[in-house]
Amino acid sequence: MALVLTDEIRAMIGLTTGWQQAANAVEASEVRRFHHATMDCAPRYFDAGHAASSRYGALVAPPAFVVEMFRRPDAAPDPLDRFADDRNYDGAAQHFRGLPEIRTPLKRLLNGGYSYEFYRYARIGDQVERQSRFADIREKAGSAGPLLIILIETLYRTIEGTRLLRSVSTLIQR
Amino acid sequence: MQVFFDDIAPGQRLPDASIGPISPAHIVRWSAAMENWHRIHYDERFARDHDGLDGLLVNGSWKQHILIRYLADWAGEQGWLGRLSMQFRAMSAVWETLVCHGEIISCARIGEWGSVLIRFGMTNADGTETAPGTAMAVLPLRDGPALPYPPDAVMQDLPDMEAPA
Repeated sequence: MALVLTDEIRAMIGLTTGWQQAANAVEASEVRRFHHATMDCAPRYFDAGHAASSRYGALVAPPAFVVEMFRRPDAAPDPLDRFADDRNYDGAAQHFRGLPEIRTPLKRLLNGGYSYEFYRYARIGDQVERQSRFADIREKAGSAGPLLIILIETLYRTIEGTRLLRSVSTLIQR
Repeated sequence: MQVFFDDIAPGQRLPDASIGPISPAHIVRWSAAMENWHRIHYDERFARDHDGLDGLLVNGSWKQHILIRYLADWAGEQGWLGRLSMQFRAMSAVWETLVCHGEIISCARIGEWGSVLIRFGMTNADGTETAPGTAMAVLPLRDGPALPYPPDAVMQDLPDMEAPA
């Protein structure tokens, strides 16, 4: 018997967002921060001459950069305002990629893993958009109680429609 | 140096890549770059008292990009990392030295190129596997044509990949 997977939650399977555009284009300095943090200083990210003569034809971002580029838009509410009311706020970003949060009695949300399909690398200057869908939501018995396994499929493309990446992220509520 | 499909076989191991030790500065550099303010990555007292952890945690999101880089680098500028699937199985604490590893499971010709199924992972210093997965890469043949970029034709013919064991 399902303990946390209610009919209401089950009905969310297949729910799909519209195309959501990232607040900023793929920016050279953001790519720099990314490749510094991942210690991946390949010249295709910053050496325009090298990139122009490579198969990419222009500067590109690291393979899954676009997954991380959907940040807080300029005028969006500050998530850190929550500290005013709750000093135990964990500061964690929401992981639902534009989909509604699934609320259950389970308190912890874990990142279970990812699958990716790579179509091409985003170029510096690309405007990127994404569309997410609850691909599956299922309950599983864990050693310490029920787990809710949530699969979110997200497609990434340029606003011109050139597909870049497909991801499936696994979230685990426990 | 580019690896070619002619030069690989099932059972071969990819060269290990050791990364670390991962300091709090490495972790916060990634957290800041990604605007991820989850306190278990930079607030040690919170990590211990609120989440019951032994200390700061290395970000899973960072580990996945390190593994993507490891596999894409192995495929080289003339190859293509087409698919990847990984699970987070164990945590990595601050000051870990992590080791990326991989092994070729199977190889198959697809048209004028070759596909390679790889089992990979990332271990903590004590050997604990933290992020096992499988990946599918495409390699050129030594005397064959270059892979097209964008690799649409290659991706179209890429076989399905089994989920990680």
